[in-house]
Amino acid sequence: MILLEINNRTIEDILSYKISEVESNTKLELVDVTFADFDGVIFHISNLKDDKYKIRVSIALKFYKDLQEHGADDLLQREYGSLLQLPPEEGYNVTLLFDLKNLPENHQELVKKAGLLKRNCFASVFEKYFEFQEKGLEGNKRAVIHYREDETMYVEAKPDRVTVIFSTVFKDESDVIIGKVFMQEFKEGRKASHTAPHVLFCHKEPPMELQDTDALAGDKIGYITFVLFPRHTSKKSRDNTINLIHIFRDYLHYHIKCSKVYIHSRMRAKTSEFLKILNRARPERQTEKKTITGKTFVPTPYYPEISGTSNK
Amino acid sequence: MANHLPAIVIDNGTGYTKLGYAGNTGPQYIIPSSIAIKETSKVGDQASRRLARGIDDLDFFIGDECIDLNGYSIKYPIRHGIVEDWDLMERFWEQCIFKYLRAEPEDHYFLLTEPPLNTPENREYTAEIMFESFNVPGLYIAVQAVLALVASWSATNGVQSLTGIVVDSGDGVTHVIPVADGYVIGSCIKHIPIAGRDITYFIQSLLREREFNIPPEQSLETAKAIKEKFCYICPDIAKEFDKFDKNPSKCVKKYSGVNHITKQPFDVDVGFERFLGPEIFFNPEIANPDFSTSISDIVDNCIQNCPIDVRRPLYKNIVLSGGSTMFKDFDKRLERDIKRLCNARQKLSTQLSQGNITPSQMNVKVVSHSMQRYAVWFGGSILASTNEFYTTSHTKQKYEEYGPSICRHNPVFGALI
Amino acid sequence: MPGYHSKLVSPARKIGNIAFLTFKTKVRGPITTLNPEDLVDNEMDIIDEALLYFKANVFFKQFEIQSDSDRVLIYLTLFITECLKKLQKCTSKDQALQEVYSLAVSKFDIPGDAAFPLNSVYSRPSTLEEANTMRGYLNQIRQETGQRLVERVFDKETNKPSKWWICFAKRKFMDISLSGRGQ
Repeated sequence: MILLEINNRTIEDILSYKISEVESNTKLELVDVTFADFDGVIFHISNLKDDKYKIRVSIALKFYKDLQEHGADDLLQREYGSLLQLPPEEGYNVTLLFDLKNLPENHQELVKKAGLLKRNCFASVFEKYFEFQEKGLEGNKRAVIHYREDETMYVEAKPDRVTVIFSTVFKDESDVIIGKVFMQEFKEGRKASHTAPHVLFCHKEPPMELQDTDALAGDKIGYITFVLFPRHTSKKSRDNTINLIHIFRDYLHYHIKCSKVYIHSRMRAKTSEFLKILNRARPERQTEKKTITGKTFVPTPYYPEISGTSNK
Repeated sequence: MANHLPAIVIDNGTGYTKLGYAGNTGPQYIIPSSIAIKETSKVGDQASRRLARGIDDLDFFIGDECIDLNGYSIKYPIRHGIVEDWDLMERFWEQCIFKYLRAEPEDHYFLLTEPPLNTPENREYTAEIMFESFNVPGLYIAVQAVLALVASWSATNGVQSLTGIVVDSGDGVTHVIPVADGYVIGSCIKHIPIAGRDITYFIQSLLREREFNIPPEQSLETAKAIKEKFCYICPDIAKEFDKFDKNPSKCVKKYSGVNHITKQPFDVDVGFERFLGPEIFFNPEIANPDFSTSISDIVDNCIQNCPIDVRRPLYKNIVLSGGSTMFKDFDKRLERDIKRLCNARQKLSTQLSQGNITPSQMNVKVVSHSMQRYAVWFGGSILASTNEFYTTSHTKQKYEEYGPSICRHNPVFGALI
Repeated sequence: MPGYHSKLVSPARKIGNIAFLTFKTKVRGPITTLNPEDLVDNEMDIIDEALLYFKANVFFKQFEIQSDSDRVLIYLTLFITECLKKLQKCTSKDQALQEVYSLAVSKFDIPGDAAFPLNSVYSRPSTLEEANTMRGYLNQIRQETGQRLVERVFDKETNKPSKWWICFAKRKFMDISLSGRGQ
């Protein structure tokens, strides 16, 4: 798995399971499941007022307010239409309501769509700025989304490009290094594919664009800048771009972890190799040595020889 | 602690891995504990064979997606409940977390399970992987049997005790594990070579003698479906046979299947296997000529081997766990049999003492509950949603300060929730 | 507990070490002439027991002989298996009664004969007279068992043997059989 999936399997699984139960006329059970997704998102699937045929899918995002400023509500209205339940379930930002007794024909599509709930919440801000860029509008305020407790995303539109900047925190020192190497690869990637967007990575200090903001600086903070050109933001490729970019932070951290897993397996391979060498080790055979006067020479300190690694 | 994201509970079993978020009543995913990888060359030892190039190390699948893949070899990193291949286990967890649970492991506490008699080294390996690869903020490794006890608290007749004997029967093997105050009495654990799979095989053989409608290539899955749908435990097989003879219309059930190839439906009469299948727990001899000790005798024996001061509490709290204990009336039969054994023993001791000793009646109770199938996971889910879990878990700070050895010991908690 | 045992108290009289039990029957033989008044009508006799326990016992590979009556039970269990082998080929009840009758009265081995499978636990009749009584007793009990079995196995409506009995024809109680190999 190179790219993270953008849909949430759990939502899809539960909904399709319920639908299949309705279709085979099995008696339904109450459902009440709470689970998480990347970026501190919490989902809750439950029944509306204990009606086993009405299923609510709710999402809670800590930064939903930030998204609302950029038209998240409109976009969700467009995507989900009558599925949206207003007002949403208490403690959650958006709630979709499925009535299993009156399912439309295309319910499989609906299930797929429900699985993309988080992605669609995110999409609004990108769509808005892609739109600005297309229309050549300038001077709009930069969008600031505090998508995690100490990590922020900035989106800015210029007539010829959209800049997306992520700040991210590395918990571990080795993560910083792996992250840097990984981002280096990304820069290199442009050589292989000319259509790839510009990627810049700065460590410790925020990039020039954010000099005048409250962007944090520190040893474990990194900034990733994507420069998206019209070919990425055009109506045709827009969806794909959003799919990829909204989850980029998690993608980066996923790969840092995968790299560590890989390093670990190399370390294990090396260890077992060394162990084999150690197992072959035999103590040096003692031969009796005589001194000139005829006395027996006993070598005092005695070190076992490790064959294969001794420096002879 | 209220603003924590829910903890992640992963129960890695030999056959299936159960994973999900704490606080729920069931796991979100139940996937086979298998991993399909590509091996670069046929020569060399395991480690060097696996060293992949480029991004090949990401090219693998776990769980149900392993099946029907060309060019991959399927591996099972867990054997007899114990992790044997840490490379694969680490990658298995990688996909569990990122593909299935979709969680940033840095944000969630983790509760993992281990079989009884797991080695402390294995706990260290687990801790290394969790803290160093995945940067988890906190980790707790719980013993499966103890979690099964916790799960039994939800039963109507359950007691909140961490002393009890767990009868855990999955697909491959059945264990009887005594636990005293949250600690497993390792020397007294008993294994029984009879479990779900043996019942399926036995039912398959019974069907083969009588029902000729079943397509041979589907006989195993038919037997499995019949086992799950119709089987129960009877108090006495001779009487049950008689009941079937006298009233076949009520006792014999119909199973309908569809032939995968011809798409023709077929019907199977389900008769004696309904009670004979699970009967092999109590009379293993009828299916297995090499093993003839009843599960009741083994549980009784197991308790008798335990220290004398825990025997009464153990008899009082016999807890069932795992899918193969889900048969109707399993609890009643086990309870009745063990009661009989106890009474016989007490009668004998009264006799031998010539009436001088009259022991007080042994209180035997078998606890059964609706969460039995995934009892271990459910117990983990209960524990991991308490505040105590967050204070008892080993944290990343502690790990970095003291090293992996802190995870050798995971203090018991939850006795007084 | 392996297996179900006869609950009948073994009578004082025995032939060899087989209990000489009474049972309800119209078949002529040593029993009716002996003590017909011993038996209360709705009480289980040894044949009822054998038929009731047959399906359960036939699964067991080991069986502990606890009484002389158990020896009769074992013999009958093995004989029922033989009957079932015949019955599975029968298409009507009348035919079945014929088959079972001829099986019951055909030449059979008694304890002590070389081909009898359980000579280690059944003792040989000590005199020729005793051997004749035993043969008569077994002959009678075989006939009666066969008749009662046919009543149970045949479905009144379809006049066909019930598959709920026939499926046991292939099982071997304690891995032994009254008929030799290949039969």
